[in-house]
Amino acid sequence: MLRWLLPACALAVLAVAGCGGGGHDSGSKNPPAQPYSKRSTVPGVVRQVTPADYKAPIADYRRYVRRRLGTLGGQVAALRAAIARGDLGAARSAWTRADATYESIGAAYGAFGDLDAAVNGRPAGLPGGVRSADFTGLHRVELALWERRSTRDAARPAAQLSRAVARMRAQVARLEIDPLEYSLRAHEILEDGIHLQLSGQASPWSGSALVALRAEVDGTGVVLDTLAPLIARRDSTDALPQARRALKRLTNALDGLARSDGSLPRWDQLGQRDRERVDGLAAGAAEQLAYVPELIDPRPARPAQRPFGESG
Amino acid sequence: MSGNGDTPRGRVKRRAFLGGAAALGAGAAIDRTIGGGGTNEARAAEPAPARPIAFEGAHQAGIATPSPKHAIFAAFDSIAPSRAELAAALEALSDRARRLTRGYDALLGAPGEGPTPDSGIVGPQVAPDGLTVTIAVGASLFDDRYGLASRKPRHLKPMTTFPDDALVAAECHGDLMLQLCANGEQTLLNALRDLMRATRGALAGRWKIEGFLPQPRESGAPRNLLGFKDGTANPDIRNPVDMDRVVWVGRDAGEPGWALGGTYQVVRIIRNRVEFWDRVARSEQELMIGRDKGTGAPLGKRKEGDDPDYKTDPKGARIPMDSHIRLARPRTAETEGSRILRRGFNYSRGLDMSGQLDMGLVFCCFQADVERQFEAVQKRLAGEPLIDYVVPTGGGYFFAPPGARDSQDWVGSGLLA
Repeated sequence: MLRWLLPACALAVLAVAGCGGGGHDSGSKNPPAQPYSKRSTVPGVVRQVTPADYKAPIADYRRYVRRRLGTLGGQVAALRAAIARGDLGAARSAWTRADATYESIGAAYGAFGDLDAAVNGRPAGLPGGVRSADFTGLHRVELALWERRSTRDAARPAAQLSRAVARMRAQVARLEIDPLEYSLRAHEILEDGIHLQLSGQASPWSGSALVALRAEVDGTGVVLDTLAPLIARRDSTDALPQARRALKRLTNALDGLARSDGSLPRWDQLGQRDRERVDGLAAGAAEQLAYVPELIDPRPARPAQRPFGESG
Repeated sequence: MSGNGDTPRGRVKRRAFLGGAAALGAGAAIDRTIGGGGTNEARAAEPAPARPIAFEGAHQAGIATPSPKHAIFAAFDSIAPSRAELAAALEALSDRARRLTRGYDALLGAPGEGPTPDSGIVGPQVAPDGLTVTIAVGASLFDDRYGLASRKPRHLKPMTTFPDDALVAAECHGDLMLQLCANGEQTLLNALRDLMRATRGALAGRWKIEGFLPQPRESGAPRNLLGFKDGTANPDIRNPVDMDRVVWVGRDAGEPGWALGGTYQVVRIIRNRVEFWDRVARSEQELMIGRDKGTGAPLGKRKEGDDPDYKTDPKGARIPMDSHIRLARPRTAETEGSRILRRGFNYSRGLDMSGQLDMGLVFCCFQADVERQFEAVQKRLAGEPLIDYVVPTGGGYFFAPPGARDSQDWVGSGLLA
C-alpha cells in the first residue's frame, strides 16, 4: 500500500515551528515527511472510530445548538422590536448579531432540512432572485434593512424568520446529526465561509462577512472541542493542535481589525493588505482542518485500494 | 524622444503620420532588394526541451531559457508574520519548484484516504513538460515588515506610472512574482496549485494573468495579437556575453552581494485594442510598428533578421522616426545600453463592458538595471503612434534573485538567510 507524505505537516512547515508527532529525519532541509496512514491502525493501540463514538460529541453539540438558538430567539425578538418602532440602526445591529449567531451553528445546518433555507436562504438559485416569494429569512431582512433602508419592508420577512427560528427551537431536542456529516463539518464550516462570506456573496448588503466568519471560526472550534477525544485516539500527526493554531491566527487577525467600538468593518471596505491576510489565513486554516475528517471517519475501513498512481 | 505628449489622452494620434505612408511604397520597393545584415534573432516559442530544465544554477531558469507555449504570471503579497516564516515560505517554493520542474510520481493516494498532496490534474506521473518556476520579489517586500530595507536592490521600486498608462490597481505590484512557463497549460495550473498550497498561510494571491505564444508554425519571433512578429531584435539568450551585458546584475553594478547574478523583471499587462487595430490599413500598421506584417522584416528590408539600417534612412522615410521599433531601439551607440531581454506572452481573457475583446500582451522583460534599460526605452516610446492601440493596465517591477546554487539552497536565501 502506498504511503505518502502528510502535506498538512509539510505545508505547515512555514506556518508553525516544527511538526511534532512522527519520527521524521530532522536533518533534512526539506519539509519533514511523515507516513500518512490514519486508516491503518497503530498496532494494538487504535480502535476504529464507529458511529456510536459520535453519540457523546453530537449530544454535546446539540446542547450547544440549543443554547445558541435560545440566543438567536432573543436576537430575532430584538430585531422585530426595532423594526416595529422604525429604528433602522438598532434593527441593523440586531440583525448582525442574529446572523452571527446563526453562522456559529454551521454543523447543524443540514440537519434542519428546509428550515435552514427558511432562516438562512439566499436568492441564488431562486428563479426571480431577490424578487422570489421563496426568498425569506435573515438575508431577505438584510436586503430590506441595507439595500432598501426600510424597516417597513423588513417587517414581514422578520416575522417569518421569527416563526422559522421558533420551529427550529422546537425541533432541536430531536435533532439528528449524521456522524459522517458531523465529521466533515470540521472543515466545511470554514470552507463555506471562504466560499460564501469572503466572496461577498453571503451578506452582500450588510457587508458583514467578517462578523459571520468570526462566528464560523468559533463554531468550528466548538465542533473540534467535541471531536477532540476521537481525534486524539487516532491522531499521531499533531493535526488538531495545528488546526487550532491556524484558527487562532485567523481569530487574532479578525480581532485585530475591530474598530474602537469593537465592531468589525465591512468586508468590502477593507484594504487590500487586510483582505489578503484574512483570505490567506482562512485558506491556511482550511488546509489544516482538511485532515481532521479522515482521522475520525465513522465508516468501517474499506480494504486497501490500489493507489491511483500504481499501474497493473 | 518623439514628443506628441501634448495630444489629449485618448485621442487618436495616428493621423499625424499618414503622410509618411505614401513615402513608404517607393522606399520599400527599392530597399527590398538591398538585403541587410543579420541581427541576433531570438527564437521564442521554441518547443521546450523534453528533458527537465534545471531549477538550480547560477541564474534562475525562465529568463535566459527559451519561451515555451504557456505562462502564468502570478503576483502575491506576503502575510507571513515574521521574517523566519517568510523565509520558510520562500524555501518551500524552491523545494516544490525543484520537484515540479524535475517531474515526479504524483501522490494521489487511494479513495478513502483523505485529501491528497497532489491535485492529480496531470495524472499519476508529473512530467517536467518544460516547466520553469521563476521567483522574484517586489519593492514592497522591503518595507518595514521584515527588516529588509537595507538589502533592497538599488533600482527596485514600485512600477512607474507612465503617461500613457491606464493602470488598474487590482492588477499592479506585489511582494512576490511567480512566473511559471511550460509547454502545457495544465502543467502550469498543477504547479501553481501546488506552490500556492505549500505557502497558503504565508502568501496571499494578489493578481494573476495567463499568457500563451502561437505554435511555432513559422520561423522567427512569434506573432503578438496585433499580428506582428514580436521579439525579433531580442538579445541572443544563447550568448552569455550578451546576457551578462543586458540581463544579469554584475559585480560592478553596486548592488548588494546577494543580488549578483539576479536580474530585474518588469511585467506589464498591455491590452491591445484589437478591433480598432483590425480596422487600420496594413500599411499604416506597418508604419507604426516599423516592420513588414508578413515577413517581420524591417520596412524596406527582406528578412526578419535584417538590420533596419537606420543610417541610410536618417529622416525616417522608410522606417518612420516614431515607429515602434525605431523608438524602442534606435541602434545608436548611446541607446544600445538600454537593450532589454523581452520574454512576453499573449493573453486573452473575456470581454469588457462594451463587449470588446480583452486581449493583448503580458509584456515581460529582464535587465540588469530597470531605469537605465526598461525605463529608458519606455520614455523613448512615450507618445508613439502605436499607443492609441495599446493600453498598459497592470504589472509591476520585481527582482529575480540568483538561482538556487544546489539541492539544499533556495531562491532568496541570500536575501533572507
